Amino acid sequence: MYIEPADRMRPRLRRLRCRAAIIPVLLCASAGAAYGDDAPATPMFSFGGFGTAGVVHSSIDAADFVADSLEGSGAGYSRRWSAAVDSLLGLQVTATINTQLSAVLQVISEQNYDKNFSPHVEWANIKYQFTPDFSVRVGRTAQPAFMVTDSRNVGYANPWVRPPVEVYNLDPVTSNDGIDLSYRMPIGAATNTLQFTAGRSDFSVPGSGPDGGGGVASHQQLLLDDTLEQGFATLRVSYLHSRITVAAFEPLFAAFAQFGAQGIAVTNEYDANDRPASFGSVSLAYDPGSWFAMGEWGRLDTSSIAGDKSGWYLSGGYRYSQITAFATYGDTNTSTNRSVTALNPAGLPPALAAAAYALNGALNSALEDIPVQDTISIGARWDFMKNFDLKLQIDHTRLGAGSYGALENVQPGFHLGSTVNVFSSTIDFVF
Amino acid sequence: MTRRHVGICLIALALLSASVSAGADIVVVVSARSAITSLSKSQLGDVFLGRMSRLPDGGVAVPIDQAEGSAARDEFYKSLFGRSAAQMKAYWSRIIFTGRGQPPRTVADGLEMRKIIAANPASIGYIDAGLVDDSVRVLQ
Repeated sequence: MYIEPADRMRPRLRRLRCRAAIIPVLLCASAGAAYGDDAPATPMFSFGGFGTAGVVHSSIDAADFVADSLEGSGAGYSRRWSAAVDSLLGLQVTATINTQLSAVLQVISEQNYDKNFSPHVEWANIKYQFTPDFSVRVGRTAQPAFMVTDSRNVGYANPWVRPPVEVYNLDPVTSNDGIDLSYRMPIGAATNTLQFTAGRSDFSVPGSGPDGGGGVASHQQLLLDDTLEQGFATLRVSYLHSRITVAAFEPLFAAFAQFGAQGIAVTNEYDANDRPASFGSVSLAYDPGSWFAMGEWGRLDTSSIAGDKSGWYLSGGYRYSQITAFATYGDTNTSTNRSVTALNPAGLPPALAAAAYALNGALNSALEDIPVQDTISIGARWDFMKNFDLKLQIDHTRLGAGSYGALENVQPGFHLGSTVNVFSSTIDFVF
Repeated sequence: MTRRHVGICLIALALLSASVSAGADIVVVVSARSAITSLSKSQLGDVFLGRMSRLPDGGVAVPIDQAEGSAARDEFYKSLFGRSAAQMKAYWSRIIFTGRGQPPRTVADGLEMRKIIAANPASIGYIDAGLVDDSVRVLQ
């Protein structure tokens, strides 16, 4: 995008960082206060971590393959072989103050929108366990919009190199700053967990702002998630509603609005300023141990330039001793028209007509950004030593007509609707 | 029978018993003072996967694990859930690194597990059948 995001985005992001910093301080203060009480059965502080070291190669050099839309660079255009796509390191400290009260702080270093690896606070929350089956968390928690949203960074916990982009790219909001309630109850022989979260999320995606980013705000965020587990089977449904603002689009629609009634109509239809958005997903998994099968479907409706899009995947694998072989098919599509004539330049003075053409072009190029693609993946995971795995994966992606799919940093000369082959290899670990 | 023959017989016997104990000699135990006499495989699974904190009769169930890498632990999860040590580690990684829970408390070996289970009527664990005494009850 070549549109300047609004400057007021910067103080908002700074505020976000300050809030995140308060939580560890509170955590230490309350941990200090608890010291001297009866010794808990479990250690007060437990440390752990996880990480991935990986390389990715793409067959196309006029665009970047990225693991998610928050990354500033990828494999292909930026680097033929990129270590920045999947590599990350996460550290977590859990403080168990007593059987009811605990706190978690998790910090992750991974590639950000501005291509650096400066660490950010992934989770920071305090949990109060009212009963063994009912808990409340306050602070920054995972936004469980998908089956493995909350562990998407923990490669060791997942069979693939990364969760299928056709579904996991639908909703880039992975965290919630607010409150989270979880209630678990048996239903027959099954365990049902109902989770409710309310809060907000502010983050940056790659852009052309002064800091190389563009702010995205998801406010008044409400999510209801229900997970039913019985034996080897898991079924979950989730529904999220929020109001989203994509700062990078504001100047574009301010320009459209100067074209009178027809410009205001375009703004009303497409702008992403405090726009209501809803996201629903259904997931099913079956894992008896020697094999697994899982599938997810999700749909995002923003009624804006960010698009109305859906995606699904099916994945299965077979385990032979320490080797897991897997295959996945994923597909994502949009119901948003990606080629529109927004302003009618006919009858406008030449200078204004040229501006109208330029604005129409900018709108269409943003609409082309809505991914349409499908991918066949095959790969293997080898648990070669305790707490380590090695993965190899090949993705064959067909981009939809007129789409550059989930690729980023698209360069002139890129053929819309082409085919991309991606090879990835990672080592994952936990400690 | 020569001394050498005796030696071969003892080795063969040892190999035989080793293969048997690697098969089905791990038993699930509770304290002799516990009211529980039996648990279904799925209830046991729910307790050890952290999905259930109370048994259907209302009693609290606290699972206890043997040390990571111990034969008893690997055998327990393999026979109960068909999962390897690496698969169980992946399962708990997902839960730990989202702050949703912690895996069961771990004890060093079967002897320590028997001692802790005997003393805590709410706890559930697994030991080699040869370690069973009257302080614990084997669940059916």
